[in-house]
Amino acid sequence: MTPLVLALPVALLAGAWLGAWLDRLVPVLWGRPAQGPFGPLRDGAALLARPTATTEAPDRLTRWLAPGTYLALAAVGLSVIPMAPGLAPLDSSVGIVVWGACEALTVIAVFLHGWSPNAPFPLIGAYRYVAIGLPVMLPSMFVLIAAALPAESLSLVQVVEAQREVWNVLRQPMGLPLFLLVGLTLTLRGPFDFADGADIAGGTSGQESGPGRALWQLARLTMLTAFSAMAATAFLGGPLGPGLPGPAWLALKTAAVMAVTVGLGHTVARTTPSQMLHPLWVGALPLSFLHLALAGWVAL
Amino acid sequence: MAVRLFHRMAARSAPAVFVCIGPRMQALVEGLFARAQSRRMESPAGAAILLVAGDIPRRAAVALDRIHDQIPPPRETVHWDGCDDPMTELLAAWARLMAGESGEPDRLPDDPPNPWKGHGDHGQGGEGMMGGVPYGRPMAMTGEDPRDGLKLDAYTMRVGPFAPMLPPGLVLELTLQGDLIASARVTEAPFPQPEDANAPRACAARLLRLLGLGPQADRLLRGTAPRSLNAVRALPVGLGAAGTGGDARTRLRGWLEGKPAEGPPPDIPRLLEGREWHEAVVLLNSWPPDTIRQAAEAAR
Amino acid sequence: MSHLVTVAAIAAFAFAVSAALARPLPATAPQAAPFFGGGSAETHAWQRYHFRAYTMTLVFIAFEMEMMFMYPWAVVFVAEGGKAMAEMGMFLGILAIGLLYGWREGVFRWQ
Repeated sequence: MTPLVLALPVALLAGAWLGAWLDRLVPVLWGRPAQGPFGPLRDGAALLARPTATTEAPDRLTRWLAPGTYLALAAVGLSVIPMAPGLAPLDSSVGIVVWGACEALTVIAVFLHGWSPNAPFPLIGAYRYVAIGLPVMLPSMFVLIAAALPAESLSLVQVVEAQREVWNVLRQPMGLPLFLLVGLTLTLRGPFDFADGADIAGGTSGQESGPGRALWQLARLTMLTAFSAMAATAFLGGPLGPGLPGPAWLALKTAAVMAVTVGLGHTVARTTPSQMLHPLWVGALPLSFLHLALAGWVAL
Repeated sequence: MAVRLFHRMAARSAPAVFVCIGPRMQALVEGLFARAQSRRMESPAGAAILLVAGDIPRRAAVALDRIHDQIPPPRETVHWDGCDDPMTELLAAWARLMAGESGEPDRLPDDPPNPWKGHGDHGQGGEGMMGGVPYGRPMAMTGEDPRDGLKLDAYTMRVGPFAPMLPPGLVLELTLQGDLIASARVTEAPFPQPEDANAPRACAARLLRLLGLGPQADRLLRGTAPRSLNAVRALPVGLGAAGTGGDARTRLRGWLEGKPAEGPPPDIPRLLEGREWHEAVVLLNSWPPDTIRQAAEAAR
Repeated sequence: MSHLVTVAAIAAFAFAVSAALARPLPATAPQAAPFFGGGSAETHAWQRYHFRAYTMTLVFIAFEMEMMFMYPWAVVFVAEGGKAMAEMGMFLGILAIGLLYGWREGVFRWQ
């Protein structure tokens, strides 16, 4: 265990704050008054000042297990990402596999969150999210495996090293757009927010209040942080860059990916789940096959 | 010191409000939340203040009490008749709640929905897996499925009159199987609303909000066109096709161009039966509230 | 081994945060009732839920298993060159036929 692990909570909290602020800044484009950097902290304090509601005969275990799992997956996912060239909190030789596991298990965390309150709208959100979340996980893995091809390794440290000359976003141009779909799904945003939508009155978090609600929002935002850092690492060269130290480059690139993800979440409309399922299987999945083939051809 | 700072920060957050909309108030409420610095929550659990807009008819009194009690204590109620600006009252109530005042007690008696009966620790005993009244509510029983004939559990509920995704006042008795509406019955029609609630802009904003574009809906209500990549295309082709009036997509496109929707009122039970929940909610919002009111009066 | 310990420590920390924050208070019966916009339900929400996309999940498992072979393949891809490309191409081709079959059978619809 390297001491870098201790930097994880700081990175996650900073990322969560930035994500929450971006969430309040992006609507400025549509004429909402701007909020200062303290906006998210105020809203967080307001949530913590309220009580946590309970529901009729809830599943008490999954009530805290679900947000805990979501948070743990985000933290473990972030831990394999190198913060400086050659230096990751958890220098795993199979970092991409670890991240893939965290990604896929997110579907379970969200499902349990919708299951726990024993109420119909959260339950509908939970099942619906599983139906959309599963097919989204497939393109994601193709995209990440394509990123591993030039590195000849599943270690993210090696994936970064392999981008010294040219970033993957140029070698594999379809990778980042496909991976952004995954990010929107993992963080329950905009067009892929089938778990917490407005048509089911807030869905899986509709029965939540106070600290319980704050916890779920925190978990969502930490997952946004982990996802953005992963996208920056796999496609934008992670901590590589001239002048500034590695961690600063990683933070800048992560913030950029985060801004794009939040922006897309606010601009792209959500369609009905039945209409979404089809293009994911017959559009996004074949595209990711093609992406892998092209990436393989370029790598050879 | 830290505690005082925490409460000051919480009090400076925007008030979290759940609104119960009465007759003649829909457009006023929507306009209020498009401009004001307060958050309209999708469910009472996330709110601290109940805003009662207009005179709620006697038939909705119990529903109003239920919503009031579902706001976790401490809570306060603010009444608004549409004349002066309710923001001062909302902010004052929010400040009191954040300062730790005790708020209002429950309005309904603390009784379970049904008396517990049956055998076993949780009253779960009955015939085999079925029957019994665990935690004061019976378990769902099987019913015929409208699509593929599988005999799975049917879940009967009454939604409304203050469901945020339905026109205010509308009460539907729905039997769900999974997220599919197996049967629908209109028990109460929406409250009458003046012409401003049927304005193309107001109708389009409601649909945009359902599609996950809240800030853009507010922008539209304030009078500027939304910027979305796919708002119109997010609605499936042919959904809610009604003779000369076109489908939901044509109606939304017309609304965004400022044209009122045409066409006869739909047959609500026939419209909803066999629909997935998201589709059903989009459908009900793809006609102006007045058309839905005529349809509901006819179906009641 | 130390990696496992690290992952366990991170997860334990996350669950501790969760347990500290998600502590529901006792509530009266009307407060705890599920939200229907003022309406009510007759039965519990937990039920034998009709999951419309169930046929799709079987296709998902096929692709998810295929991932297992792709991880080692990705490591040796450049070393093996065209051979690895052809092998995975064949494998994905077969899976793509399965995808087409599923499409024809309509498993990617909400039915």
